[in-house]
Amino acid sequence: MSILSKLLETQICLGAGRATMPYPFQPRTAPATFRGRPIFDGKKCIGCAGCANNCPAREILVFDPCQEIRVLKYLGRRCTYCGRCADLCPEKAITMSGEFENGTNAIGDISQTIELFMSTCQRCGRCFDEPSEGKRNPLEKLKMKGYRFDDLKNERWIFRSQAYLEGQPVVDDIAIDLKD
Amino acid sequence: MDRNVVGMILGGLVNVAIALLVAPFFQGILRRVTARVIQSRQGPPLMQPYFDIFKLLGKEDIESGETPGMQRFATYLLLATVLAAICLVPLGFPAPMSGSGDVVLLVYLITFSGICTLLAGAAAGSTYSLVGTSREMMMMIALDPIFAITLVVGALNAKSLRLESVLNGSVYASSGFPAAGVILLGVMLLAFQAYVGRVPFDISEAETEIMEGPLIEYSGPKLAMFKYAQAVKLVLYAALFVALFVPWGSSLPFPIAFLIFWAKVLVLVLLSTVLAATHARYRIDQALRYYATFLAVSLVAVVLASIGH
Amino acid sequence: MLKNLCQKMFGRSLWVYHANSGGCNGCDIEVVNCLTPYYDVERFGIKLVGSPRHADVMLCQGPANRSTAAALKRAYEAMPNPKLVFAIGSCACGGGIWFDSYAVLGPAEKVVPVNYYVPGCPPRPEAIIWGVAVAAGLVDKKTAPVTFKQVELPIPRYHPEDLKGKGELVVYEKAPRPGF
Repeated sequence: MSILSKLLETQICLGAGRATMPYPFQPRTAPATFRGRPIFDGKKCIGCAGCANNCPAREILVFDPCQEIRVLKYLGRRCTYCGRCADLCPEKAITMSGEFENGTNAIGDISQTIELFMSTCQRCGRCFDEPSEGKRNPLEKLKMKGYRFDDLKNERWIFRSQAYLEGQPVVDDIAIDLKD
Repeated sequence: MDRNVVGMILGGLVNVAIALLVAPFFQGILRRVTARVIQSRQGPPLMQPYFDIFKLLGKEDIESGETPGMQRFATYLLLATVLAAICLVPLGFPAPMSGSGDVVLLVYLITFSGICTLLAGAAAGSTYSLVGTSREMMMMIALDPIFAITLVVGALNAKSLRLESVLNGSVYASSGFPAAGVILLGVMLLAFQAYVGRVPFDISEAETEIMEGPLIEYSGPKLAMFKYAQAVKLVLYAALFVALFVPWGSSLPFPIAFLIFWAKVLVLVLLSTVLAATHARYRIDQALRYYATFLAVSLVAVVLASIGH
Repeated sequence: MLKNLCQKMFGRSLWVYHANSGGCNGCDIEVVNCLTPYYDVERFGIKLVGSPRHADVMLCQGPANRSTAAALKRAYEAMPNPKLVFAIGSCACGGGIWFDSYAVLGPAEKVVPVNYYVPGCPPRPEAIIWGVAVAAGLVDKKTAPVTFKQVELPIPRYHPEDLKGKGELVVYEKAPRPGF
């Protein structure tokens, strides 16, 4: 019984060949749906701190050193690579990359920090997104429509935004009878 | 007379040197063949046991256990006994020191090395090592008589207790069909694994069930000596087996006989490897029953040998 | 001379002791996976031993629990020098998502000094092999801390001197003020 079955076993094992992957010497990629280290893209981040709110390990820290700067710090220590931050981010600034080669001798190596400039309103002090050249965000549009009174000297209602864009004088573009 | 003695001692040292150099290599072959052939993986490099022993020599020696003095003594004594036993064995050339001892001394030294393991385990005093020691004791009681009976049959057939005549295939009787010899060949083949402490029968030590048994409280250089002693035991028993049962070709001129001897030892080690990799470990009571049958069979062989077969 | 040889051989034959101080066994399974023929870490000379007295490397897994912290410390002290400690998995690196539980004291490094970290939950066997290869010097580590700064401090605050008039429009011009 035993000797024959053992010989058969040996023959099967011989037929299997060698199954070892030469791993550290040849790279090996993870499958496509693998959740590896999260990569935080600072350019897309708007500083809403939704990821920090939702992280089950409380691994993303948010603090504001002053009114205009928000620092978001991802320390990689307790991260379980669950992906909730990536699912939640409204700007899709977090991607779960396929990086699993994270072994290191100093745990601070895995941290990622984002420091954002949060523009604040002069009046109420709340943050808003910085108006860039090409974007016409709602606040810019409000400015066009006369919401802001920086133009204290003139104190006129400014109705037509198009004139503003073209640099034409916008005062008195609509005849308003003020004398009465 | 003086030069003779000095020559004998130097020859013995040659045996010791060969054993020390070659023993970890056979362990390496064991591990590599297990990995490559049976377990379908790339195993450790062939020189791995040498690396292991050097690394262990460089580690700190933590003296734990109940009686550190006795532990040290037992470790050194084990390696010394095994090396002394190997001085008496022909390793491809006639053993230079075989004139200074006979069969009884060989049996004594081999039993003594088992006792040193027992001492080492009992001196450590932790629970696991005591369990390992008791199992080793039981295995020794079962195994040493079989080895002694083999040598006794050889001595009966060669009509002398001198090692050169006994360790020369004398188990096969000269007249008629060598019944006793063949029986003993079968018995020793099946019992070989237990002598060298490999898998179906490595009940006493180096197993994950009792965390390496008697070796558990040893670290660093002492562990290196234990591992070395185990490796040398493999060479010792393989050499004894070859000298007792398959000695043909040992009378050829020096280089050829040397190579043939080591080729035979290699074949035996490979057989042991394949057996070790494909079997599971026996429990102590199963192993003892197994050996009890062998003991009965070898007693039959002794009776046959004494009546001339 | 012998000492040099012994020290060089240390990296070639590492004997590993596995110490789980309260984890979920996910990382245990991944560690044992490394010893299977597919990943085969024994080709580097690594062997699993049952007693810390025989071991060189301790693989800590699981956070340091209140009940097992003492045992972990004793196992660490039972290892002969030179020794290394690896923290495998998020729980051992930083406490995991259980960091604020009543039974968890913290990461493994609250109890034993850790040399190498392999984060993940659980880390892939390739990630563990990568960590071991970094420790043995076979590969270079791939992580480094990342910081994204949108604006360097000092940031310009709102000052009237920063406001520049451009005709009819008052523009808040952001200019970094050196020496602020």
